[in-house]
Amino acid sequence: MSPRTLLIALCLSLPSAAAFAAESAQALDPAPTSKDWAAIAALPDWSGVWVPDVIDQNRQIKTNPPPWNTKATQEVVELTAAEKAGRPKGLFVDCLPNGLPGLMLITHNPIEFVFSPGRVLILGESDGNRQRRIYTDGRGHPADPDPTFYGHSIGHWEGDALVVDTVGVLPETYLAVSESVGVANNGDLHVVERLHLTAPDTLTDDLTITAPHELTAPWKTSRVFYRHRARQDEFGEGVCLQGKFVESVDAHGDAVFTPLQYAADGSPLPPKP
Amino acid sequence: MTRLLDLFLARGRHLALALSLTLIAAPNLAQAHHSFAMYDQTKIVTLNGTVKDFQWTNPHAVVWLLVPSASGDPALWSIELPTGPGNLARMGWSKHSLSAGDKVALDINPLRDGRSGGSLKKALLVDSGKVFIVGPLAGPKP
Repeated sequence: MSPRTLLIALCLSLPSAAAFAAESAQALDPAPTSKDWAAIAALPDWSGVWVPDVIDQNRQIKTNPPPWNTKATQEVVELTAAEKAGRPKGLFVDCLPNGLPGLMLITHNPIEFVFSPGRVLILGESDGNRQRRIYTDGRGHPADPDPTFYGHSIGHWEGDALVVDTVGVLPETYLAVSESVGVANNGDLHVVERLHLTAPDTLTDDLTITAPHELTAPWKTSRVFYRHRARQDEFGEGVCLQGKFVESVDAHGDAVFTPLQYAADGSPLPPKP
Repeated sequence: MTRLLDLFLARGRHLALALSLTLIAAPNLAQAHHSFAMYDQTKIVTLNGTVKDFQWTNPHAVVWLLVPSASGDPALWSIELPTGPGNLARMGWSKHSLSAGDKVALDINPLRDGRSGGSLKKALLVDSGKVFIVGPLAGPKP
């Protein structure tokens, strides 16, 4: 290799080396500085417990349903008929998480926001495993994220609005309009949200949901949450599976959970016969 | 209110625990948590009986009620509350709202298939007169 060729080769290799160095640097989450914490104080006040407007959820599903494709429409028609006949499918009776976008669309329990340097957490009551982590540190999505119920979320602030972009949601996660009507998103789900206050104690989530295997076009919809500050209204622990057990005492005198028993007709039986 | 059936038993010790089944027009209450389509939300039945047990757990609290029946043995009803402790606390409930032995009148949406079950709408404690409601959480509470 001539000196000139060697020089060209070295020059060509520099960008990739620089990119590698940058990627390595991004792999560490630096300790927050006082400036980072001060920046959080400047964010809008989203403290408190945010209770969803369930009546509005139901109204929106009727007035602005998802643009289901032909396949999904058939499933939705069948599920809706079963619901109307008193035989709801029960999409979440297995206690797996709602996932996204269900947590925002159909939950009947409140959410809570936690601001921290480089991320916003959205916690959800009820199934014990509702936790969205939205990175606001400027990173992008991983090239090949491990699919999860709530996906990989990155966000940024546009004024007082948090704009969130989510990919990497498990294909099995329901695109649900109720707890008994919904279709698996079947992959390539992309959700963009704009969360912002529309009144001092009213928060609106404007969602654009793209699900190319189930919808004919992106579905734009909104959900409303109301702030509660009473301590009585604070989050309770919510472990979905707990309802399948009763509190009991074993032969050692130890407090234990034993499976809830059912009568022959399927009715749950009380803990003590 | 349209009273369709009012059964009073006149036998032995169950005399005092008479069952009254009352059907009234249902108010438009929002359902909470999962689909409760298995319950007839166009009907409200009032059950008078004694609390057997009250399970204060997620995702749905449950009350078991003993309702006197014509056969002599009280009928066991399992009444689901359409949400769990978190939302119930926001509606004014606690784990002490109902206790075994309480005499109560429970307004329920009955199961549509005729089994002895329902979704609770309102609980009246007969002795104290306390009332606990299951309903929508509407609007902000700053």
